[in-house]
Amino acid sequence: MTSTPRINSPADLAAIREKAKSQIELRTGGRDLRITVHMGTCGIAAGARDMLMALMNELHAANVDNVTIQQSACAGLCDEEPMITISDRAGGTHRYGRLDKAKVRRIVQEHVVRGNACPEFYLKQ
Amino acid sequence: MKNVRTHILVCTGGGCIASGALEVSDALRQHVQKAGLSDEVSVVETGCLGPCVVGPVAAIHPDGVFYQNIKVDDAEDIVNEHLLKGRVVERLVHKAPTGKSIASLNEMPFFQRQVKVVLRNCGVVDPLKIDEYIARDGYEAMARALTKMTPQGVIDEMKKSGLRGRGGAGFLTGLKWQFTRSAPGSRKFILCNGDEGDPGAFMDRSVLEGDPHSVIEGMAIAAYAIGANEGFAYIRAEYPLAVQRFEHALKQARELGLLGRNIMGSGFDFDIEVRMGSGAFVCGEETALMTSIEGKRGEPRPRPPFPANKGLWDCPSCLNNVETFANVAPIILKGAEWFASMGTEKSKGTKVFALAGAVVHTGLVEVPIGMPLGEIIYDIGGGVPHGKKFKAAQIGGPSGGCIPKQHLNVPVDYESLQELGAIMGSGGLVVMDEDSCMVDVARFFLDFVQDESCGKCPPCRVGTKRMLEIVTRICEGKGEEGDIERLIELGERIKDTALCGLGQTAPNPVLSTIRHFRHEYEAHIRDKKCPAGVCPSLVSAPCSNACPAGVDVPGFVSLVGEKRYAEALKLHREKNPFASVCARVCFHTCEDKCRRSTLDEPLSIRGLKRYMAEQEVTVSLPESIESEVNASRKIAIVGAGPAGLSCAYFLARLGYKPKVFEAEPRPGGMLVQAIPAYRLPREELAREVRMIERMGVEIETGSALGRDFTLRSLRDDDYKAVFLAIGAPDGVRLGVPGDHAAGVTEALSFLREYNIRGSVPVGQDVVVVGGGNAAIDAARTAMRLGARNVTIVYRRTRAEMPAYEEEVDAAEAEGVRLEVLAAPVEVLSQDGRVSGLKCKRMRLGEFDRSGRRRPVAGDDEFIIPADQVIAGIGQAMDVAKVLDGVPVRLRKDGFIDADPQTGQTSVEWLFAGGDSVLGPASVVEAIGGGERAAVAIDRLLTGQEHAFWRQTKPVDTFYDPEADPVMYPRARMQLLPVKKRRNNFQEVELPFAEAIARREAKRCLRCDYKGQCSTR
Repeated sequence: MTSTPRINSPADLAAIREKAKSQIELRTGGRDLRITVHMGTCGIAAGARDMLMALMNELHAANVDNVTIQQSACAGLCDEEPMITISDRAGGTHRYGRLDKAKVRRIVQEHVVRGNACPEFYLKQ
Repeated sequence: MKNVRTHILVCTGGGCIASGALEVSDALRQHVQKAGLSDEVSVVETGCLGPCVVGPVAAIHPDGVFYQNIKVDDAEDIVNEHLLKGRVVERLVHKAPTGKSIASLNEMPFFQRQVKVVLRNCGVVDPLKIDEYIARDGYEAMARALTKMTPQGVIDEMKKSGLRGRGGAGFLTGLKWQFTRSAPGSRKFILCNGDEGDPGAFMDRSVLEGDPHSVIEGMAIAAYAIGANEGFAYIRAEYPLAVQRFEHALKQARELGLLGRNIMGSGFDFDIEVRMGSGAFVCGEETALMTSIEGKRGEPRPRPPFPANKGLWDCPSCLNNVETFANVAPIILKGAEWFASMGTEKSKGTKVFALAGAVVHTGLVEVPIGMPLGEIIYDIGGGVPHGKKFKAAQIGGPSGGCIPKQHLNVPVDYESLQELGAIMGSGGLVVMDEDSCMVDVARFFLDFVQDESCGKCPPCRVGTKRMLEIVTRICEGKGEEGDIERLIELGERIKDTALCGLGQTAPNPVLSTIRHFRHEYEAHIRDKKCPAGVCPSLVSAPCSNACPAGVDVPGFVSLVGEKRYAEALKLHREKNPFASVCARVCFHTCEDKCRRSTLDEPLSIRGLKRYMAEQEVTVSLPESIESEVNASRKIAIVGAGPAGLSCAYFLARLGYKPKVFEAEPRPGGMLVQAIPAYRLPREELAREVRMIERMGVEIETGSALGRDFTLRSLRDDDYKAVFLAIGAPDGVRLGVPGDHAAGVTEALSFLREYNIRGSVPVGQDVVVVGGGNAAIDAARTAMRLGARNVTIVYRRTRAEMPAYEEEVDAAEAEGVRLEVLAAPVEVLSQDGRVSGLKCKRMRLGEFDRSGRRRPVAGDDEFIIPADQVIAGIGQAMDVAKVLDGVPVRLRKDGFIDADPQTGQTSVEWLFAGGDSVLGPASVVEAIGGGERAAVAIDRLLTGQEHAFWRQTKPVDTFYDPEADPVMYPRARMQLLPVKKRRNNFQEVELPFAEAIARREAKRCLRCDYKGQCSTR
């Protein structure tokens, strides 16, 4: 145990809960956003693993903890890799393709932190 | 702290630890580190996830993927494939019965039907981290109770929720708290019963190990409500992990100030101490538990005074069990209405069950109270493994009882179970299949109670000992008439007079097995038989025990293994004259019970029998007695089917010269009329019938009872005894509109017409209705006679078909189409001739009294075009018609009421056997019935028993008990290729080659070996 201070009121309890919540929500599917990194062979070859690392670093840097990161197989659009899909609780999905580290940073800052999607990086349909 | 993206939750419940979960968890951690994923992935050790049988198990989130049977070596694949590349490791995921892989936790039927309240955190949180419990709203309920509710308010909420004690008795928790609160006294105690001791139960252990804080929180709320400041958790010492994790949780709670003085600034003080019980079952009884906490010998005391007034150290005390406490926090947090919305009228909420025994997914499950027992066992538990039949569920442990298959629909709640003589108990649910002997089960529980009785009161100490003695005697074949009544009387007395719950409920397993399985007790006592093949004194080998004719299976099998074929046949015919017939058509219960199946697959006993029968060159007659006196005593046998001919055979061996009357032109009964020649070549039957004729039996064909002679005319002709073996030769009509159209027939007359007269009209598009052997025989016969399309319509699924599986397989291979889950509703016709069969689509609904799911009609209707419809839905016999006024008692179903041991009817000189007694049954059961009647007729005429063949003789084959079993797989009989058999009536099955047969014989484990074998 880390030296958690003594709980003297329900408010203290709530503080601990808020701190620990995000880890548990990862298991129960309670987080607000879900980012899927497509990691088929095509994705990995195109650098999906780097995108995953970049994504995690950016999220960490931005102090965001309400995002679930998941991997998935090839989405069938190998030409567009590396790709990520962001889905929110309302059911909206946003697919970004042909990513690089700079784009990932923009997406995290704009879409994840401020809540403005970045259509300029959307998949070309 | 880096933002971890994936959690691997490794179950570290006791079950999974035993299967190696800790090593798996270490290996996962190592590989995560090796792959450089330590910052992204954490390995979390959680409490029990539930499906213990496939442990070690792990769930990977956020993907929701569930892996089972994980070995240390699998850790690398999980890390490299799943964590690095996002690919599910297919070989480790759950397989549905259909063979489909189910990777997702949420799609597994085992989890889908569960509702987790008590187990809400088990398998989700790390039980060693209080933060994770708090993150799941832990201690929030306590905070609310302490700061926003009065103690009475808490009790009112509990009362409103309807929560009943989960320890077994089901007393209302809120009421218990109220009593303790109202009791005068300044010092009160809250006690937690973690002395879980029922065989097969591990609910409380899992909660204590997987979510200890939920129990602590529940206890704290209860303490606040009743006005206690001290608590004790009584946990058995055999649960070291539960004790360790619970104590760890207590320490954390104290450090955070969630236990101790002035909790959350509310002014309420509370702490808990752990007391370890040393495994005495009686200490689960509340007064004994308290005595034990006091440091005295754990013995119960009479109540009243109840613990609510005078409990631990004579202070008002409230004892609840682990699961009850785990329910408290959610009730306070989500409200009584939410809780009461689950369950039944009188039993609210959910219940955790430990599924154990003969069930596919043994493990821990939580369901809303009131779920039908069958759904717990089949939908969640996955049913009974190895294709065995469900027999009973033992629920409630040594205080509970058995629920037989007739009651699979019973909603699992306190009242319904009690009505059936069982109890909810703490949640142990042991599933038993056909291989469990209920007398032996009762003996096991009595033995347990005897061990665990504290000895304080004589009813429990002495009474259960007497009961155990009687039951043991019954198991050993020394039971006497009146034993069952003695057990019931003793049991009732003990229930009324024992001091505590242990003694008062100790007779339950016996009383409930007597209630639902009295016939099994009777079989042990009267027939000296253990039908399940368990009790060693009564069973030589499970195969022989299961054979209705009692053939010495290991004997003839081992003789075949030594190439001593003539001796093998002779041994077979000691008990069953129809070796060659049974080699083809027997339904081989022997193989179903073969103990080799626990190793790989059962012995191919029928295949070996076929090989043995193939070796017969000339039929030698069995050992018989010459007796002029017997030869002069006239005995008539009506019906030359397997029952009648078997009776004649055994009477002839005793020196009688019985006369057999057969209505049809050829002897054999169903063997010749119904079973097609491709399964049973006619010469094979004729050979064994000739053998019986050569022994002095006269068979008169074309002579029908009621037409050519009557029972009275037989008596007038001086027949001393008559054996009625008239079978059940009449088919049953479809019973739907239009079933009188031309082209509608029933399977038995269809088969008889072809088999006896040599030809039968067959349509182009034939629909056969039914799933029994007659239906399959009719379908395959129609195929062979040139039908273009043959469809079998059956209202349940293929798994429920009564026909032998190999027959169904062969039919399909020959082109017969199966239309299952369909029931006919109307026969369509044009100009008076059949044009099609209108069917309704069915689905499987509730469980019926046979323990199978009842087909329920849906709305979909469809038409199968047909110019012939054959109904194979049952067999009947209008017995009354041929009895000629002789006052024979019939059963409710219209068949003859005869003593199963002697075949004797209510008329002294009239005996009966075969289908006319049993209803449509098997060949070998008819043969067994014939033998028993022959012995009984002899006894009637001579007053003595002469059945010399019933003496078991040791077989002098070699057997080395030290040797390891040979590891050959089961040999399979080859079939004639479909092309070569579809258009003719040549025998389909081909016999083994000699080497195969001898090798197969060596697979026998010789269960009959009792150290008496010679070493030649």
